[in-house]
Amino acid sequence: MITSRTNRHAVIVSATVCVAMAVGAALAAAAPFDDLRRQAPVHGNAAAATAKAATCAACHGAEGIAAAPTFPNLAGQAETYLYVQLRAFKDGARANAVMQPLAKALTDEDMRNLAAHFASLPGKAASRAMQASSRGSTLFHDGDAARGVPPCQGCHGVDGRGPHPDPASTAPQPAWSTFPVLAGQNTPYVLEQLKAYRDGTRTGTSNNRIMQGVARNLSEADMQAVADYVSTL
Amino acid sequence: MRKMLFATLAVAVALAGQRALADSSGSARVGDIQYGNALDPTGWAPLLWPDPRGFSWLHAGMMRTPSGVLYPYPPQRNEGSPLYKDSDWVYWGFLQLGYLHLGGDTKAEFFRQYAGWKSGLALGLFALYADNPKTGQYLEFRGSRLSGDDQYYRLRAGQYGRYKIEAFYRDIPYAVTTNAYPLWNGVGSTNLTLPAPLVPGGSTSAQTAATEKTRPRQTIGLTRQREGLGFEGVLYRDWIGYVSVVNEKRTGTRPWGGPMFFNYVLPDNGGILETVRPIDFTTTDVDMGLRNVGAVWQFQLDYTGSFFRNHKDQLDFQSPFRLSNVVGVPQVANIYQGQFSLEPDNDYHNLRAELSRRLKWNGQLSLAVARGTMRQNDPLLPPVTCTGTGGIFISPSADYTFNCANWNTTAALSQRTANARIDTGLLDAKITLHPSAKLGWHAGLRWYREDNKTHYLAFNPLTGQYGYIAENGSQGSVVPGEIGIFDPRNPLFASYVTQVRAIPFGYTDTVFETGIDWRVSDNNSLNLTYSFDRDQPKYRERKLVNEQRIKLAWVDRALGKATLRFSYEFAYRNGGRYDFDPYAPFYSTSLPGFVTPPLGNVAFTTDAMRKYDLSDRIEHKLRAILIYPIGDTATVSGVVYGTRDNYAGHGEVGRQATRNYGFDLSWDWQPSPLTSVSANLGRDDSRLRFSNVADHEDITGVAGRDDPSLGGPLYPLANLWQGIDHERDYNAGLTLRHDFGRVRADLGYTYTYALGKLDYLFASPAALSTTQQPFVATVGNAFPDNHYHINTLQLGFDIAFSRTLGMRVFDIFETGSFADWHYLGLQDNRVIDHKIYTDLGPQPHYSANLIGVMLNVKL
Repeated sequence: MITSRTNRHAVIVSATVCVAMAVGAALAAAAPFDDLRRQAPVHGNAAAATAKAATCAACHGAEGIAAAPTFPNLAGQAETYLYVQLRAFKDGARANAVMQPLAKALTDEDMRNLAAHFASLPGKAASRAMQASSRGSTLFHDGDAARGVPPCQGCHGVDGRGPHPDPASTAPQPAWSTFPVLAGQNTPYVLEQLKAYRDGTRTGTSNNRIMQGVARNLSEADMQAVADYVSTL
Repeated sequence: MRKMLFATLAVAVALAGQRALADSSGSARVGDIQYGNALDPTGWAPLLWPDPRGFSWLHAGMMRTPSGVLYPYPPQRNEGSPLYKDSDWVYWGFLQLGYLHLGGDTKAEFFRQYAGWKSGLALGLFALYADNPKTGQYLEFRGSRLSGDDQYYRLRAGQYGRYKIEAFYRDIPYAVTTNAYPLWNGVGSTNLTLPAPLVPGGSTSAQTAATEKTRPRQTIGLTRQREGLGFEGVLYRDWIGYVSVVNEKRTGTRPWGGPMFFNYVLPDNGGILETVRPIDFTTTDVDMGLRNVGAVWQFQLDYTGSFFRNHKDQLDFQSPFRLSNVVGVPQVANIYQGQFSLEPDNDYHNLRAELSRRLKWNGQLSLAVARGTMRQNDPLLPPVTCTGTGGIFISPSADYTFNCANWNTTAALSQRTANARIDTGLLDAKITLHPSAKLGWHAGLRWYREDNKTHYLAFNPLTGQYGYIAENGSQGSVVPGEIGIFDPRNPLFASYVTQVRAIPFGYTDTVFETGIDWRVSDNNSLNLTYSFDRDQPKYRERKLVNEQRIKLAWVDRALGKATLRFSYEFAYRNGGRYDFDPYAPFYSTSLPGFVTPPLGNVAFTTDAMRKYDLSDRIEHKLRAILIYPIGDTATVSGVVYGTRDNYAGHGEVGRQATRNYGFDLSWDWQPSPLTSVSANLGRDDSRLRFSNVADHEDITGVAGRDDPSLGGPLYPLANLWQGIDHERDYNAGLTLRHDFGRVRADLGYTYTYALGKLDYLFASPAALSTTQQPFVATVGNAFPDNHYHINTLQLGFDIAFSRTLGMRVFDIFETGSFADWHYLGLQDNRVIDHKIYTDLGPQPHYSANLIGVMLNVKL
C-alpha cells in the first residue's frame, strides 16, 4: 500500500508542475524562420508583374541581369526560389536593408508574379570555359570529403542550372524547387553569400541551415574558387 | 602482474603521441556497452529528446532502414559554447540533480532487484562534452548516482583518427532476496555460527524453530563494483594498438546449502540447511592487441586474459541438530560442523591471430588461429573438519567408523594443490565471394578443442583409502558404510562404489558451413545455408555426435512497401553408440582390489537414459517477420516464431521433446519530431517434456540390481514417470512522448506476466518416492501454478524555465504479485524437522511508488 505521506508528496509535486508550466508559458517567441522543407512549387503570372518589375530593374537589370556584380542575376532563376526569397525578405527571415522595405510592400500574389517574371527571362550565357581540374570545378562536382564539403551539383545540378531529381526514388525528397540556379551567377554576389552562411548572418530558412554546414568547412580560397566557377557555367 | 599491465599501457599511451594519419576507429574495448540504471536505462534520456527541427534540413520526411523500420529522430543537438574567449574548444554540459522519495513496499524484491533505490539526493545525470573541431580532440564525461550501490561514471577522451582513452567506474546492485531470515551469526563471513541459546549438534527442531523466529529480516544480494581503463590508437601508419584492463569486484552474500545428509527417510536423522555464503570475488580482464587495417590485407593479434580471485576460500557452518543413524545403534559421532570449499582462483589466457585478405568478386578470405589455457592451482582443503570419530559402530565385525584425524589435514590428500588445467585450440577459416551483384557464396571451417589436463586422484596416503568422505562425515554417520571411501584391505569397504578420479571432460568440435545468397529479383532474395557439426566429446556417453542443419531464408519486398522475412530451419542430430555408463574408469570399480559383490554392482543408471545434449534430435524452426510501413510516419511490425525439438526415441528416457512458439507485435508512430508513440504486445509459450524411471529400491539388496534395462527388475516399467513443464509469458508496453514547447511529457507503461505449470504423470504409485507412499491418493498430477505479474507506470514532465534551467518531475508506480509453490508454508514455519529455510521468497503482493523532483541545468 502507498503511504499517506507519499500522497502528500504527490500533491506538492503536482502543484510545483503547475507553477512551472505557467512560468514556461510566459516566455517569449522565437525569431522569424522559414521552414522550406514542405514548400510546394509556386506558379505566378509573369505578365502581371511587368509594372512592379520596373522597380527591380534598377539593380537587377530590365532583363534580370544585374547592373553590378554585387547584385544577383535574377534571369532564369528558379521560380519558387525567387518567391521564397521575397517572402523571407518580407517576413524578416532574410535581412537586407534594401530588399526588406521593398518586399514589405508586396502582396503574396505580387511575389509569385515577380518570381514567374524573372524565371521566364533567359539566363546569362556561359562567359568563359574553366578547366575541369580547377579547384572550383572539383569542389562543385566532387566536393571535398576530407573536409566535409559535399559537391554543389548534388542540389544545384551538374550544370548549375538546378537539380535533377530521380523520379523513381522512394526516399524522402527535398523541396527541390526552392534550390537556386547557380549557373552564370555573379562571383562577388556568390562569394558574399557564402561568407554570410559561414558567419551566420544568413540563417533564416531551412535551406540556409544546409548552406551553413557547407560554408563552415570552406576556406576563403575555396569560396572564391567556387564563386568563380559557377559564374562561368 | 598489475604493474606490468599498467607499464604496457603507459608505453602505448606514449606511442600515441606520434603523428600518424591512419584511421584509428574501432569498437570500444573497455567497459560496458551500456551505461544506465533503473532511473534511466538508456543513460542519456534527458539528452535524447528529438530535435524539433527534424531529421534533416534537406527534407521533412522520416528516414527508414532498408527493411522499412523508422529511424528515431536525432536528439536535439547542443551547440555548445567556447571554453573561453577565442578558444577553439567548444563545450556543453548537462546536470540533473534532485530528490527521490520512495513509498509503499520499497523492500519488495522485484522493485529493487537491480536498482539501488534510496530516498534522498540523487544525481540523475551529469554529462560534460568538449571538443576542438580544428584538431579533432574531444573529451566526454558522463555519470549518474542513485545510491552508493548504484552509480556509474565514464570518461572518454581522444583525437578523432588518432587515439582514444576510456576510463569508467560503476556499481551495480543485485538483490537475490529481500525476505531472508538467516539463522546464523556471521552472515557474509566464512564462518556461520549458531546464536545462543542454540547448541551445535545438541538442539531440537523446536528449539531451533523458536530461535529462528527471533532472527531479523535481511537482504541477501551483492554489488558489482567495476572499474576499467583502456587505450586505442595509431602506433605507426596503419598499425593500431589497444590495451584495456577491467576489474570487477563482487561483494555480498547469496543463499547457499548446508547438507548434513538428507532428512526425510526418518525424522531427526540428518540435516538440510539453507545457509548464506559470502561473495568476495575479483575478476580482472585484460585485452591487448595490435591490428593493421590495410586496403587489401587486415591483420590482428589479440591477447585476452581473465584472472579470477576468490578472497573467501571456504564456508564453515554449524548445524544445531544431533545426527541419528538409521540402524538405531548408539551414535558414536556427533558431527555438527560442515564445510564448503568455495570457488578457486583461476587464470585464463588466450592468444589469437587473424589474417584476412580482400579477394576478387568483392570477396574476403579470413583465417584465425588461437591458443588458450585455463588454469587453477589453489591449495586444497582437507577432506573434513571433524574431530574424534565419525561413522557408525554396530559391532566389531561391522565397524563403519573412521578416525577424523586421518582426514582433517592436508596430509590426507594425494596432492596439495589442484593443478587443474584445460588448454584450448582454435582454427577458423572463412571465405566469401560475390561473383555478381545478385549472387553471394560463403564457406567456413571451424575447429575447436578443449583439452582437459586435470588428473586428480582421491587417495589418502595416511590410510591407503580412496574416495572422499561425504558431507564432512555426516552421511556415514547416518547410514552405515556410506562414508564415501573405498578400501581394498577392508571387506566392509572393498565393494564400495565411489568416484576416485576427476573426470577430464573435454571435446573437439569441427563445423563446416556453406551457403549462397541469391537476389532472385529486385524484390526477392533467397538464402540457403548448410552446416555440418561434428562433436567428439571425451569421457561422455557418446564419442561422436553429428548434427546437420539446413536453413532457407526468403526476403520479399513485393508487398507494397512492406518487408517480409521468412525462414525455416531443419536440423538432425545423431551419433555413435550410446554408452549409458562411460565413467567406470573414474570410479572405485576400476581400482585393483575392488570386490564385485555376488549380486553385482547396482546399475549406474538405466541403459534407456539419453542425456539431452548427446541424444538424437530432430529440430524444426520457423520464423516470419513482417515490417509494414503505414504512411510516412508509422510502422507496424510482427514476428511469429516456433521451434520443435524431438529428442529420445521410443523406449528411451530423458528429455523427450521441447516446443516453443510465440509472437511479438509492435506499432511505432512518429507524426512529428515533437510526438512519438509506440506500443508492443507479445506472448511466448514453451513446453518441455521429460521422463525418467525410479529405481526399485527394494531390489538393491537382491538379485537383478545390476540390470540396467528398462523394464528389468531395477527399472520396472511401473516406475516410469513423466514431467511436463509449461511456461507462458505475456508482455505489453506503451510509451508516449510529446513536446509541448516549454513542457515535455513522457508516459510509459509495461506489463509482464509469466505463468509456470509443472504437470506430472506416473505409471503407478511405485514411481513415487517411498516417503510419498502414504499420500498417494492426494498426490494428484500437478504442482500448484507459479506466476509472476508486474505492472509499471511512469509519468514524467520536463519543464523549461529558461534556455539553461528547468526541472523534471516524475512518478514511477509499480505493483506486482508472485506465487511459487517452493515457498509455500515457509511464512508460518521456517524450521521443519531437521530442515532450515532462510529465503521466504518474493512478496506475494506489493505496490511501490517513487517520486522524483530533479533540477535540470544546461551548462
